[in-house]
Parts: sequence; structure tokens; C-alpha cells
Amino acid sequence: MTRRWFWPSFALPGAGWLILLFLIPTYAVVAVAFGTFDPIFSTPVPIWNPLHWQFASMRSVLSGLEPGHAFWIVFVRTVGYVAISLAGCLLIGYPVAYYLARHARRTKGLLLVLLIVPFWVSYLMRMLAWVGLLLPDGLVNRTLMDVGVISAPRAWLAGQASSVVLALVYGYVPYLILPLYATLDRIDRSVLEAGRDLGGSPIRTFLHVTLPLSRHGILAASVLIALPMFGDYYTNDIISNSPRTSMIGNQINLFFQGGSEQAVGASLVIVLSLFLAVLMSYYLWITVRASAETKESLL
Amino acid sequence: MKNGAVDLVQLRKQFGEVAAVDGIDVSIEAGEFFSLLGPSGCGKTTTLRLIAGFERPDGGKILVDGEDMAATPPHRRKVNTVFQSYALFPHLDVFDNVAFGLRRAHVKKGEIKGRVTRVLEAVQLGGYEKRKPGQLSGGQQQRVALARALVLEPSVLLLDEPLGALDAKLRKALQLELKAIQERFGITFVYVTHDQEEALTMSDRIAVMSGGRVEQIATPEGMYEEPETVFVADFLGVSNLMRVRAEGADGGACLTVLGDFSLRAGRGEIAHQGETHIVIRPERVVIEPYESSGANRVPGMIERVVYHGSSEQLVVRLASGDIVQALFVRDGSSHDWAQGTAVQVHLPAEALRVLPPSSPGEMAAVAEVAPPDSGAALEVGAS
Amino acid sequence: MRRVRNWFANPWGQPRALGAITWLYMVWSIAPVLIAILFSFNNGRSRSVWQGFSLRWWWRDPNNSVLHDPTLRGALEQSLRLAGLDMLIAVPLGVGLAIGLTRWRGYGAKPVNYLMLFPLVTPEIVMAVSLFLVFDHLYNVPFGTEAQVLGQVTFSISYVVIIVRGRLLSVGPEYEEAARDLGASPLGAFRLALLPLLYPAVFASLIVVFALSIDDFVVTQYMSAGQQTQTVPILIYQTVRGTATPALNALASLMVIVTLLSVGLAYLVYRWASRAQPVTSSGALNEIAALEA
Repeated sequence: MTRRWFWPSFALPGAGWLILLFLIPTYAVVAVAFGTFDPIFSTPVPIWNPLHWQFASMRSVLSGLEPGHAFWIVFVRTVGYVAISLAGCLLIGYPVAYYLARHARRTKGLLLVLLIVPFWVSYLMRMLAWVGLLLPDGLVNRTLMDVGVISAPRAWLAGQASSVVLALVYGYVPYLILPLYATLDRIDRSVLEAGRDLGGSPIRTFLHVTLPLSRHGILAASVLIALPMFGDYYTNDIISNSPRTSMIGNQINLFFQGGSEQAVGASLVIVLSLFLAVLMSYYLWITVRASAETKESLL
Repeated sequence: MKNGAVDLVQLRKQFGEVAAVDGIDVSIEAGEFFSLLGPSGCGKTTTLRLIAGFERPDGGKILVDGEDMAATPPHRRKVNTVFQSYALFPHLDVFDNVAFGLRRAHVKKGEIKGRVTRVLEAVQLGGYEKRKPGQLSGGQQQRVALARALVLEPSVLLLDEPLGALDAKLRKALQLELKAIQERFGITFVYVTHDQEEALTMSDRIAVMSGGRVEQIATPEGMYEEPETVFVADFLGVSNLMRVRAEGADGGACLTVLGDFSLRAGRGEIAHQGETHIVIRPERVVIEPYESSGANRVPGMIERVVYHGSSEQLVVRLASGDIVQALFVRDGSSHDWAQGTAVQVHLPAEALRVLPPSSPGEMAAVAEVAPPDSGAALEVGAS
Repeated sequence: MRRVRNWFANPWGQPRALGAITWLYMVWSIAPVLIAILFSFNNGRSRSVWQGFSLRWWWRDPNNSVLHDPTLRGALEQSLRLAGLDMLIAVPLGVGLAIGLTRWRGYGAKPVNYLMLFPLVTPEIVMAVSLFLVFDHLYNVPFGTEAQVLGQVTFSISYVVIIVRGRLLSVGPEYEEAARDLGASPLGAFRLALLPLLYPAVFASLIVVFALSIDDFVVTQYMSAGQQTQTVPILIYQTVRGTATPALNALASLMVIVTLLSVGLAYLVYRWASRAQPVTSSGALNEIAALEA
């Protein structure tokens, strides 16, 4: 029994911060995207009142998104890179998380520490490490030539899609393994033993018990790494820096850091956000449901 | 005059659509050991939290020594609580936990030391001042929680299932200790429990609650011997409940009809007429050989014999179809009854009690507690 | 061959194929970083061909070493400055928000709860662009250190809320109730009973915000104003493909060492701070894991 305003007043500064610096900025993107252009200073003029919105920038973005057009190609490429990288992350990440959760015994502590180390090494540092390896006279080229796979050094850092995908997998897989591990670790061992006891082979038990039980964990973790990948431009800039591998993030970045067409960039941000909203709302739904379950189990 | 009288007047608390406490009237005397007893969800803990001030009542009054507390925040109430989980502050040692309330009341430093030491002695924890709660056993933590509340010399102490987390043996020992402490300090204890035995052994008076309402308030003997409702009869101990048609008083007893048999019931609502329940405790049921005869006897067949060591329990199916349990002490004088034996069941008129007719909802609640004709009824008695 | 296959498929032993994948992954994830650190000790200008051991890129070189190159030093200082300010602002805001959202049962709690989750799932470039535009067109905040701090705090708050709320839910309201019962005012109960129980979570939040800030690139870059406000990640981004010397590796290595040391130290302090409380070491790990998940 406390005064009504007591607990809300704790939340007020943080909530106010998020409204001022998250909610309103989001609206600013919309205002700029549907705004006009000042020809004298060549700057965009945001329009805050929805009744006066101009749709020229959005129209040009949408026409660019028609199949075969510039944005369409970038968009399809982005989806392709993210999908392949995600598959690669799952292919590496799931077995590792599974081994850690189910089989690692004496080495579990060490493995967990090794698993967490990448979290504390800056992402850019990890990209820098790969640049060193992929340089023309780097370790990758020299090893491949020693083995005889290639005869001359390859330009791994000049617009190679494979390098970009490799870097994305390397960059994001730790963020997949940890939540996956948490999911698999929560599965009650006795459920698995029951599966074996009822006559399932290890593989059948895995397919019919472990996999279905970790389905939500897999999806949530995948969304968690797919979202930042869709907005990533720095991995691409560092590893490729070529329009041949340009992703949607690079395109957006170009409009803000390079050109003056902020309204087009803002429209592109809106289109990307709407596309990602589906993934986001799924993730939010999972999170809210999980925290509701935690609350229930505590009552 | 002693302090610590608590009066609840038409106290009400809603949680959404559910009335957790549904307009109860309870009057607790100063210095009394008063228990709120009932199954989980009956509203007993909410009642306690209302008295403590953690919940705001939706209606009614909470009077402590005649003063309405309903709008007073918990830290200004002269009542203190012993929590079910103890809620000892893990970052403070035993001394600081016990001194917490005294410091909030700005008691002088020297006095704090003396009072904490004395109360810790009283709960037999002298010398434990520097321990952290995590280093104490469950029973010791319980004593610290008690000391922490007692040191403030409240006029009313609220206890929310304080022994719930302890094992059976420790619980028994602490029951006696709690009662002794209550008598020594002379303060009002309001004690919430779902354990009927605990309530019966410790309390001066008990309020049995169900569905947010008070079913009955009585002394332990009164509650056991003279249950006023079907719920109380069934919740407290083992009862043989039989549905009968009452035909009103006849010479100091009620004439009731159970199937083809008529029984005289000498207690309870003897003037009642119509469908209702009669109740008899198993230890008052007398099993006699089939040949014996007389009033208030119903023939039956022994269905089950349960050996309890010092006592023996018989489950008998009466000719009316009802199941009756009988309990008797094995003192060597009694028969050795075998399963399948035909017997006469004597239900003495002075032990048969006529209950007021109950609402259909109440009957459902009873059915939940003990399905009338299943063996589950036996387990209720054993707990 | 058959023996090898049986050895791998032994149903009673460890699934060795899985174990092999796991260890290979661990090597793959750590080795490139170790190699990059190694090249910071290279005697030549190359970041890919080993030319002997030297400390020239750390401090020997009077112009181009981490210690002496003003650009490198400036980036390191800016990174640490931002991390400090971020911790100082985001942690109190986040702790307050977590407490408010857990205890407050009013109508406003739900929308704020959702609002708090959004920064966690919004791609950073979207957040960076929105802050860039709002500072430019509405708030007139100049780009530079202030803008960088405002941006970093915005995405840090939610992580603090998640960590602290996890702790709050496991603590429950009974300690505050006990304090109130013993005569503490609402604020007193918060200060004397609740806050001490939250110290481990507050501490974990500090570490996490430090790491988030040090690691951040996108928002920090969008909010930056030229060389004066370059951080280490921005410097890496801008020079890694160009003429950078192993001094860049040395700078990045220094960041890794600083981060790992502070995290290790912090973990020990965390263990010490939560010794009286029912928190296991895996509990701490989970709290640190919860942040990213």
C-alpha cells in the first residue's frame, strides 16, 4: 500500500528518455521521408503534420523496389545473404549449443568461457582480424596455395560474396549459440530419458523430442541475429567495399553519410522497418509470453 | 487494560471479479491466540495482509483497540508480521535484522543493543548476532523472524503460516514454543494456517474460513465438538456426514429419517424440519455384534479394517447405503472385527448432531474436500 | 576405418563428432583474434606477413605507436569517455525503469514495457538514422560527444532493465513488505531492503553497459563529428582497408585486454558482492547471458 505515484515516479525518467530519444526520433524518420526538399540549402525539410505529407521520395523508393530495379536487386541480395548466413550460423551453432547443453561435462566451464569471450571482443576487432587473414598475402591465401587449391592469391576483400557471408557468420554466430544453449539447457533431462526409454533411438529422440522442444528457441535466436544482419553495413564495407555485394544497410548508409537525399534514405528505412516488423513482433511476442510464464511460475 | 484488540467490521477485498475477503466480521480480544484456518484460497492470508496494511480494503473497517486502521500505511501500524518466507534481509546479519525496526523508530543505540540481546535470548538465539540469515537453519531463521517482530513490542503480532516451511518434528516443537512466547509476552497473535492440528493445539479461538467468508468462530473444543456448518464438520477432523430428512424436535432430540431407519439426534438444530445433514465423529460411533438391538442402531457390513497401532479404524457400509467410519482405541477390551462381518452400528443420540441445511455451493466444496463414499475420506483424517 | 567409425558411433561414450565440431568452432572463433593480436607485435608494417617480434607499434615508435600517435590515443580516450558517461547515465535510468515497471500496476506500465523492448530488436542503423534526423531537424543537438552519449544511453537502458528486472522478479515484494512492516517509509524500504538486494544486478548492468558502449559502432559513428570524436571501432572501420599499420592491431588488442580485464575483475567483485545472497555462479552467467538474448 503505497501512494499512487510512488512506483511510476521510478520509471518516469527512463520512460521519458525513451519517449524523447526513441519514440519521437522514429517519428522524425517518417517526417523526413514524407517531407520536402529545400533547393537553396539542398537540405530536406521534415513535415511533422501527417495532413501535409509529400510522397515523392517514397514513390521513387517504391519504384526502385520493382523487380529488376536498383533497390529490388539490393533487397533480394540482402535477403539472400542473410538467409545463407543464418543457415550457416544454425549449422555451426546448433551442434555446438547441443553438445554444450547435453554432453560437455568436465570441460563445460571452459567451453562456456570460450563461448562468451567473443562477446567481450569488439565486433570491429573481430572483423579486423579477418581482414588480416584475407589480405592478398594473408594466411588464407598462403594456406590455400600451399595446399594447392589455388595457384595465385585471390582478392578475397574485393567484392566477394563468399567473404561477406563468411564474415557475417563469424560475426553473428556467438549471438545465436548463447540463447540456443540456454533453450537446450532448460529441457528437462528426464524428458529425453523418457524418449529413449520408450524405444526411441538417439536420433529419433532428437528429432521427436529435442527439436520440437527447442523450436521456439531456434526461431527466437534466429530472429535475434537476423534483425541486426538486415541493418548491417559495416561488415560489408570492411570485407568487400564493392557495390557488387552492397546490402540494404549500405544503401541506406550511402544516403546519409554520402549524399544529400535524406528523404529517400528515410523512406528506405521505413520500408526496411515494415519488412522487419513481422520478425520483430514475433520476437516480442515470444519474449512477453516467456516473461509471463516466469511470473506465473513465481506466483 | 491490555492492548491489542482487533475488530474486523464487514471487511471486504476484491481481486478483479473475485471477492477474496467477502465482508467478514471478526472480533479478536486483546492477548488472545487467534487462528484463521482454512484451505488455500479461502481468504485467510488476504485478511492478514489487510490487517498488516499491505492491501487496501475495498470496504469495511479494521479497528485496533477501537481505532480504524484502514487508511494507515503499514509502517505506522502497531502490528507486526512474521512472514511465511521469513523475509529476513539477506544482506544484514541477525543483529541488524532484529534491530531494523528499532532503528526506524529512532531508539537510542544503547537501548537497541539491550533489547535485541534480550529478545534473541528469549527465542534462544543468544550468540548468533553476527550470523547472516543464509548461515542459519530453517528453524533458526524462523526464530529470527519472530524476534525481529517481537522486539518492537507490538500489541498485535500477525503470523502467516510461520511453521509452513519446517519439517514435521521441528514444527511440533516450535508450536509449543510459540504458544509459550505468546503467553509470556501477553500479546495478541493472529495466526494464519491451513493445518487444522496446529490451529487446534495452539489457539484460544479459531475462525474457519471458506470462500472469503467466516464459517464459524469457536474455541478448539467447540469447533471440533459443535461444528455449525457442513464445511466445518468436514474440514476439521474426520466426520461421518449423512443426508437425512429431519422431522422436528421430539422430547429434546430431533427425529431424523435415514433411508428405512429413524435416528434420534440430540444436538445441534434439533427443531429443524426438512432435508439436511447429521454428523457424528468416528470415535463416537459404536460397533456392536449383529444380534444386539435398541434405538439408534443401523445394521451394516464391515468393508475395511485399518490398523493404526494404538487405534483401529473400521469402515462400515450401512444398510442405508451410507459409509460410516468408526475409530476406537485398542485397549484389549474390544472385539477383533474382520472384514465382511455383519454388525450393528450404534449412533448414540447424544453424539449425533443436526446441521443447518447447506447451500448447494457449499456441498460442492465438501465434495471436493472428501468425496462422501470413497476411501479418500480416510486420508483427510490421517493428515 | 571400421574401428574409427565404431569409435565415433559408440553409443555409451561421448558423441565425439559433436565434441569435435564444438572444439573446432572454439578454435575458429578465437584463433583469428589471437592472430590479430600477434600481428600487433610485428616488426614490419604488414598486418599479414610476419617479420619478427617487436614492440614498436605499442610504444617504441615515437610517432606511429599506440602510445604516441594522437589519433590512436584520442580514439581510445573517446571510447573510454563515452563508456564512462554511458554507464553513469544509463544504469540509474534503467534501474529506475525496471523497478517502476515491476512494481507499478497502472495503465501506463504496459505501453512503457513494450516501448522498452523495442530498442532491443530495432536494427541499429534504423535507430542511428532516427537519432541523426531528430538531432538535425528537431532538437538541434550538435553532433559530437553529447550526441554520442545520448545515443548510446538510449540503446543501453533496455539491457539494464532486462538484467535488473530478472533479479527483481526473483526477489519478490516480501522484503519491502517486511521493511514497511518494521516501520520503514516507502522510500526507506526501497533504500534499505530492495536496493541492497539489487546491487549484484546493478553491478552486472554496469559491466554490460561498458561492453555495449565500447563495442558500439553504428550509433556512435552517426553521432560523431569528425576526428575529435572518433572511437576505436570508428577508427578501425575507417582505416582497416587502407594504410593502417600493426598499430591499429595494437589499439584493438589493447581494447580487448582492457575489456577482458575489467570483465574478469568485475566478475570477481560480483561474486564477492553477491556472496550473502542465493546466487550461484551459473546465475551470474545467466544474467550476463540474458543481456544478449
